[in-house]
Amino acid sequence: MTNSTEQFIRQLAQDARPVRPLARPHARAAIWLALTIAYIALVLLVMPARHDLSSTLSEPSFIIEQIAALATGVAAAVAAFATVVPGQNRKWALLPLFPFVIWLGSLGPGCMQELRRFGLQALPLQHSLWCFPFIVMLGALPAIGMTVMLRRGAPLTPHITAALGGLAAAGIGNLGVRIIHPEDVSVMLLVWHVGGVMILCALAASVGVYLFNWRAIVAASQNTDR
Amino acid sequence: MTAIFLTDLEMTDSATPDNHLGQLMQAAQSGDAEAYTQLLNEITPRIRQIVRRYRYFMAADAIEDLVQDILLSVHSVRATYDPSRPFMPWLLAISRNRLADGARRYARGTAHEVSVESVEVTFSRGRANTTLEAYGDSQALEQAIAALPPIQRDAIRMLKLGEMSLKEAADASNTTVGALKIATHRAMAALRKLMKGQ
Repeated sequence: MTNSTEQFIRQLAQDARPVRPLARPHARAAIWLALTIAYIALVLLVMPARHDLSSTLSEPSFIIEQIAALATGVAAAVAAFATVVPGQNRKWALLPLFPFVIWLGSLGPGCMQELRRFGLQALPLQHSLWCFPFIVMLGALPAIGMTVMLRRGAPLTPHITAALGGLAAAGIGNLGVRIIHPEDVSVMLLVWHVGGVMILCALAASVGVYLFNWRAIVAASQNTDR
Repeated sequence: MTAIFLTDLEMTDSATPDNHLGQLMQAAQSGDAEAYTQLLNEITPRIRQIVRRYRYFMAADAIEDLVQDILLSVHSVRATYDPSRPFMPWLLAISRNRLADGARRYARGTAHEVSVESVEVTFSRGRANTTLEAYGDSQALEQAIAALPPIQRDAIRMLKLGEMSLKEAADASNTTVGALKIATHRAMAALRKLMKGQ
């Protein structure tokens, strides 16, 4: 071993402080989920729920859609936390795929019905813009929390990690919006809600390398060890 | 770019079982500096072997820099090691990622380099705005540098102000390139804080 590396190792060991091992990905996802659901519940206490909520809750299609959206968010959160643990199987990143397909599928029959009823030219795609601030409000804080938690891990796949984190926050945020926002046109939901979630994922993926990179992680570790 | 296909076998040594390294890391996580030194000493030859195999075209100094980068990364994310899981796949994933990261940086760097056949001996045109450039508060910066601990102050003076290379600065200060990197990181963070507080 060269002298320089020997000295480097001595310095690393000398500066090292005790660290608490990170909890397993599903446990970290559970913590994030509990905080996120508490936050969404708090927002729902302040914001009035949609006027037809009690009747909507008895519709199987609405229930399946919300469970699938929630499952997509939960699976994406577990997958995101798994991607920052070295040595974890990369197939974890595919975990949200199945619930996401069910989420899309839950909107399928409604879309087909609306297509037959209105035709391609007259599909009802007008969307009220007032729900946009709620999407941001419901998704932003969970996304920030997710980013802070993910930055404690290793930035092995920054783009994928960020996309999964974005999917988790946006998927669960979407659930909150559906409870507040009285819109049930499947085509509109597919385009604006699922499409919006996809755009947020793509945006998150594009900035992933700025959020999760070795330079920042090494600098943060040195500040802690100092 | 060289494709990186590392297998567990490349980092497995039958004389040192995986759980032994895992136990050392567990002790290191709880603050045992001796166990941590032993762990780093044991994994360094394996890391070096991999770096040499996949970066055989690099000079010895550059290989050692890369080994130290990987060690620094291992150190930075040591909290991500789960003592109930095998150690080697964890180390392997970090090494592979840092090697690929280094290759990407190398590719980006060379993509922006311009090969110049003949360099002009004199300047062909005047320098722009040299007298109008806005400077920060240089006196405050000088005071902030003076307030740094000696090793950080020397690192800044040699590397940032003196524009010495890491190797030259390490030789001049009788320290290592890795130690200088750490000192510079810390000094820059401290200066940012100090200058914000001005």
